[in-house]
Amino acid sequence: MRYLPSAPAEDRALLDAIGVQKAEDLLTGIPESLRLGRELDLPGQASELEVLRALEAMAAANTAFRSRFLGAGAYEHFVPTAIDMMVGRQEWFTAYTPYQPEISQGTLQHIFEYQTVMCDLAGLEVSNASLYDGGTACVEAALMAVRLAKKKNTILISQGLHPHYQEVLCTNITPHEGLKLVQVALKDGVTDLEDLKAKLNGDVACFLVGYPNFLGCVEDLTAIAELTKPAGALLVSVTQEAMALGWIEAPGKAGADMACGEAMSFGNVPNFGGPFLGFLAVKDAHKREIPGRVVGQTKDLEGRTGYVLTLTAREQHIRRDKATSNICSNQGLVALRANIFLQLAGPEGLKGLAEQNAAKAQYLRERLLALPAFSAVNDQPFFNEFALRYSGDVKALQAACAQAGILAGLDLTPYSDSLKGCILWCATEMNTREQIEHLVEVLAKLVA
Amino acid sequence: MKTRQRESLIFDRSIPGKVGLDLPKLDVPAPKDTRPAHLKRSDFEALPSVSEVDVIRHFTRLSKWNYGVDDGLYPLGSCTMKHNPRLNEKTAALPGFTLSHPMADAAHVQGNLAVMYTLQEWLKEITGLDAMTLMPSAGAAGELTGVMLIRAYHVSKGAQRRVILIPDSGHGTNPATAAMAGYDVVELPSQPDGTISFEDVTDPSTGKVRKGLNTLIAELGTEIAGAMITNPNTLGVFEYRFKEVADALHAIDALVYMDGANMNALVGVARPGDFGVDVMHLNLHKTFSTPHGGGGPGSGPVGCVAKLEPFLPRPVVVRKEAKLGEGEVPHFTYELDWNRPQSIGKVHTFFGNFAMLVRALTYCLSHGGDGLKAATLRAIVNANYLRSELLGTYNLPIKSPTLHEVIFNDADLATHDIHTLDVAKGLIDRGFHPPTIYFPIIVSGALMIEPTESESKEELDAFVEAMKDIAQEAAENPDALHQAPVLASLRRLDETTAARKPVLRWTKAQ
Repeated sequence: MRYLPSAPAEDRALLDAIGVQKAEDLLTGIPESLRLGRELDLPGQASELEVLRALEAMAAANTAFRSRFLGAGAYEHFVPTAIDMMVGRQEWFTAYTPYQPEISQGTLQHIFEYQTVMCDLAGLEVSNASLYDGGTACVEAALMAVRLAKKKNTILISQGLHPHYQEVLCTNITPHEGLKLVQVALKDGVTDLEDLKAKLNGDVACFLVGYPNFLGCVEDLTAIAELTKPAGALLVSVTQEAMALGWIEAPGKAGADMACGEAMSFGNVPNFGGPFLGFLAVKDAHKREIPGRVVGQTKDLEGRTGYVLTLTAREQHIRRDKATSNICSNQGLVALRANIFLQLAGPEGLKGLAEQNAAKAQYLRERLLALPAFSAVNDQPFFNEFALRYSGDVKALQAACAQAGILAGLDLTPYSDSLKGCILWCATEMNTREQIEHLVEVLAKLVA
Repeated sequence: MKTRQRESLIFDRSIPGKVGLDLPKLDVPAPKDTRPAHLKRSDFEALPSVSEVDVIRHFTRLSKWNYGVDDGLYPLGSCTMKHNPRLNEKTAALPGFTLSHPMADAAHVQGNLAVMYTLQEWLKEITGLDAMTLMPSAGAAGELTGVMLIRAYHVSKGAQRRVILIPDSGHGTNPATAAMAGYDVVELPSQPDGTISFEDVTDPSTGKVRKGLNTLIAELGTEIAGAMITNPNTLGVFEYRFKEVADALHAIDALVYMDGANMNALVGVARPGDFGVDVMHLNLHKTFSTPHGGGGPGSGPVGCVAKLEPFLPRPVVVRKEAKLGEGEVPHFTYELDWNRPQSIGKVHTFFGNFAMLVRALTYCLSHGGDGLKAATLRAIVNANYLRSELLGTYNLPIKSPTLHEVIFNDADLATHDIHTLDVAKGLIDRGFHPPTIYFPIIVSGALMIEPTESESKEELDAFVEAMKDIAQEAAENPDALHQAPVLASLRRLDETTAARKPVLRWTKAQ
């Protein structure tokens, strides 16, 4: 076994030093009756070449699309070459959580910089070191809001929140018997403000709204904040496509009290949905309730600037059942990719990329609407994703696209009765004009 | 080569006009600005303007201040810092996987589903459990999923139970998880060897009586939903009465959760499903070699017995035999089963940390069943070698047989005013990452050492030498040890001020 430093002479020397005949003699702590009295019923060890071939065959069993117009919570963006090269350094990817600050300053300073850029994107003052993904970030944000709101028991969510985020919230809120999850309806693709107003009673701890929402529409956070603030509810923006934050105003500046969501778009790949990057940023006044790891700046014995994990009194290894969350491992390396990406992009690169996304999506929408089979679902401002109604058979459309090497948009039929026959399309900087024209060509033939 | 002593924050080096990313030429018309005026992105305050060279050098220099597994022995107890095979990185980076979309139809991601199904089958055989979900993103997420399965089980029987029992030797995530799942935590006391006590335990210093398992079961009865037990426990000792604990809990229809953080001691040797476990998580980033990444991403699959299977998070990956044509080679298709009426629901936005699953499967296929067992045995040999070599130099508070890790403490060094923290910092100066310190909390000044199977005798001997050197310095020149580390990029850091006056981001005014 190539990963074991084993050789007969070495094994013997170790066993002799311990004073046993064979390794099995060290298992005396496990009662015989509780041991596995046989070998594992699994194939035997395999060479690197054999395993590579097996995995290559599995990877090849996925359909390789030449162009992709599907987003819905997992976005394909350009990954600068520098990212893979940097993250491939063992000092980053094989290290543990930075519990020993003197030999973890690399990771700690990176997290401090990551917290800084995420605060900048969110327009808020405190960010943690990352959460698992957009869905669980919603859970942590909602539970944090409930802690801050003390006796309030209702979590309002917009119907436009990503349906998977809604389900993850439901899974995690269910065990908390006192808590209620209540949905606010959509109207014309965005939160129905009248319905929100009606549901904002004295029991509401927070309101979670997609920004942009699942249908790609940019919700008016400022108008929503004008309702939540007087009601004493915290406004939580949920961004499933973080690239949008280069196009639309920072949630904190637009009125959100907390900003959370999914930041995989920065330097990461779809990867069948994971590992992704949950983020959460909050106001300074709320920092002692934030879940997860947080890095702070300090000095060493000689007065030099350094970084440490801090505010640990919130965390599970200190507070046990009174902790703000059970999270410990988070998405470290994914956050590193995002941090490198954002530093490379800078303010100009991020705004420029975001603008290209908006341009591609607008162009795609225009070209699709020129086909008689498509019609608008709403006319809200959008970033790189939008829904269109299709008069034909959606499954047949997806199949025809797949035949042509195109991954079509998402069939919205299962998500709501009012979206039956609608498709959620996405275009990013990765989609060339040529790809868009090819898609339109395939669809035009289908319609004809 | 001399590395720079300090690397400034990237923000301090920003010069407007510099760029690290060029945009492709826009091949469609410029976008119309449809945003309401108050929702246009305002200026950024921190994002730096730097070149690619700046960024590469920045992260290269920063990386040199980290210690990684490839630097040498990384003996963090219960963290299983084993070698991260490079093949795993290669397979996880295959474009067929990385470009696959989680919202694509199952027909287009058959390879992904095959990876998941195959890994599930391996993990089922390794744990002896009947069903497996790969969705939880980390160990703590696995714990939460597992405890929610326990809750769903009791709710399905019309019973709402409120208590989870957790040994005082348990990892902090256990009680934090139980609380997140809506339970009250009741602590189970340890016997002197760290295993669960059936009898009441009297604290010798305070005289306070702590109720043992028997009393708790008698008093709380069906209020008890289950227990969360780490096995081997955090002292590296196998809970030799595990089956009896499980039987006692099963008698009141309470369920047994096993924290699988220490599974590296058991793979191929003993299976939780065979000794009474109903539900458990595995840490793919510990036992199955996926990289720790400086704090993630991890992966925490959860296995369970058949009676908990209906409650598993949805969707569940299933395999169907494809209809065979005349003379066709038999083959299978994979599907995602969303129709799970009793499911606790989704626990991850999509399907968990998929790229970690690719790595773990690569590890499994490389080792095979025989290699996995060989790794377990070598991990146990390595830990026992360190135990025998350091015995006599450091105090061994628990004398029971230990498996993949060993706990020493600072009792013998107290006369020199040298404590566990000093030993840890002394190790840094001698080129090693310190072990886990001050955990488990039931051992005063614990040094929890887990070398894993990756270490050769040569590496182990170098570590032993460093530990002995520290003990000698403690006796001869304790002040020098109080100063450690002096060779790292920084000296000891002021954590108190960091927490009292938190500075959590860079700002322009700074």
